[in-house]
Amino acid sequence: MKKLTSIVAAAALLGGMAYAKEVKIGVVLPMTGNIAAFGQTSKGGLDIAYEQKNKLSNGDTVKLVVVDDRGDKVEAATAVKRLLDKDKVSVILGEVASSNSMAMAPVAEKAKTPMITHASTNPRVTKDKKYVTRACFIDPFQGAVMAKYAIDNGMKTAVVVTDAKQDYSVGLSKAFKKAFEAAGGKIEKTILINSGDKDFNAQVAALKAANPGIVAFTGYYPEAALMVKQARDMGVKTPFIGADGVGFPELVKIGGKAAEGFMYTDHFNEAAASSAEAKAYVDAFHKKYNKPADSMGALAADGYGMILQAMESCIKAGKASDDKECINTNLRNTKDYKGITGVITINKNGDAVKSAVVNAVKDGKFAYKTSVNP
Amino acid sequence: MNLDIFLQQLVNGASLGSMYALIAIGYTMVYGVLRLINFAHGDIMMVGAFLTFFGTSAGIPFELAVLLGIIGSAAVGILTDKIAYKPLRDAPKISLLITAIGISFFLENLFTVLFGSTPKAFAAPEYLTKIFHVGEIYLPISVIIIPTVTLLILALVLWILYKTKYGMAIRALAFDIQTVKLMGIDADRIIMIVFIIGSALAAIGGVFYAVSYPSIDPLMGIIVGLKAFAAAVLGGIGSVAGAVVGGFILGFTEIFVVAMFPELGGYKDAFAFFFLILVLLFRPTGIMGQDLERGRF
Repeated sequence: MKKLTSIVAAAALLGGMAYAKEVKIGVVLPMTGNIAAFGQTSKGGLDIAYEQKNKLSNGDTVKLVVVDDRGDKVEAATAVKRLLDKDKVSVILGEVASSNSMAMAPVAEKAKTPMITHASTNPRVTKDKKYVTRACFIDPFQGAVMAKYAIDNGMKTAVVVTDAKQDYSVGLSKAFKKAFEAAGGKIEKTILINSGDKDFNAQVAALKAANPGIVAFTGYYPEAALMVKQARDMGVKTPFIGADGVGFPELVKIGGKAAEGFMYTDHFNEAAASSAEAKAYVDAFHKKYNKPADSMGALAADGYGMILQAMESCIKAGKASDDKECINTNLRNTKDYKGITGVITINKNGDAVKSAVVNAVKDGKFAYKTSVNP
Repeated sequence: MNLDIFLQQLVNGASLGSMYALIAIGYTMVYGVLRLINFAHGDIMMVGAFLTFFGTSAGIPFELAVLLGIIGSAAVGILTDKIAYKPLRDAPKISLLITAIGISFFLENLFTVLFGSTPKAFAAPEYLTKIFHVGEIYLPISVIIIPTVTLLILALVLWILYKTKYGMAIRALAFDIQTVKLMGIDADRIIMIVFIIGSALAAIGGVFYAVSYPSIDPLMGIIVGLKAFAAAVLGGIGSVAGAVVGGFILGFTEIFVVAMFPELGGYKDAFAFFFLILVLLFRPTGIMGQDLERGRF
């Protein structure tokens, strides 16, 4: 009798398994390479969100397939192809760098597979794309926040430092200039750098000659840290303001004392986290990693959360959880999603409308300054 | 550009050029004896910087850590020769070149897997990061030390090449490896010495690089290696003094392009390589190079 029960139980289990599927989410991140910190921190937050929820209400399990693109555009596009052809994923999450997301977007669009980038802020990422959505705000907003913060604090002249290799930086510089000039500020000079460069002494000398009220640095953290260090070494005291590309521990580790006072706009600061969702995430993050929760991780968790919500909506509508069209429609119609980085609504372009924070380095830590609403 | 800024850029250029020069010497010496463009050379520089970084992180005094870095890099240099290049001594040169590229990828990826790819902060001692003010010019002590050490090293290498028996053997090897063997000289031993010198200099270059730009990562050797290679070709590959001249020219070009046209700063590498092409158009053997089929230093 006992045997029979176990057979029945096993059969029931098997039967149950036959119905519950596995839904795959492809994740493309720069886990190695120059901007590896973006990928590593994104993955850290994604892991927490995944541990909190990896089953759908109909019993389907969610599986993450993570591919490293080494921060390279070509690799990023290849990664998407691989995820679609070999792993047969239903949704794609990633990348961080706008240049890489832009390389991925056409591939996803062509395969009619929904893609959500959690952290690429260049407007062109979602432009004219039906299947690409994002969980973050865009650079015109971010640039405006930078400009507003500078002007409000009495800095009326600026030198803009642009990373010529990064679409993110080029777009952000444009946005900053427009907003800064519209608010009555004056752009003294634009200085170009290349990601991967280490020597900025010549640029710093040019910067020193211009002697602006503020330096708007629109590139990423490895160059930010070295440039601010070389600037301070050369006696340049001008404050620096950057955006979400600079707020990484490496800024302080490499920049040292020179990084003190470096301001930047960001998506998230745990000191500003007020919702229950955000608090639960921050607690789990502290428990697991024993360090402050970063913004890339929080964004990745939000991207993942939005995907899961879209899948749940599909199930509710009586569709399969891996129905690409349905997931995409739901992603694009996201409204007032209570995320970790704030309340997210997706507009008609596929961009998230949400608030930004301004942080500054203080005593080697990222201190919260203020929040700015759209 | 006023005089202050000009002088400031001059010292910056000298400092950057020295680092290229140190690495270029290794390229040029290995090329001289083996006719091999050792593409793993830039990565040996990375190894030197990393070993020094690990030394200081473990609490070893900086000077000792640098020494360990130099010895470790020399060891890696010898190993790559023994394992990868020696079995191919008689193989076509192209096989050797491809192997060198393979070693380069191997070292980069090995260090990425072992130590991660996020840039690490390199802590230099106080006395190397001190900054002097001379009028409006800011002189980090390193921009004085680096070119000085580079010139001393150049003198040392030239002395070894022209005043010692080993140097004579190295020069002989560059002329004709077969004849040298017939004379009873252990060619592999001499090649090993060349790799030791080249790798040690690369390690010193790596440490200088890390002191000047305190952020090190496993891929840091790629672009620096490429520039040093360009410097070696510019100066005339095979010529040690040429490598140093090439290094300085490249350093100055890079710095002054940015200084004079800040809005073109993003294209400084393009300018540096354009300059290389220009020189090679008029002097295909480089500034101090001679006929490629003749050995020399």
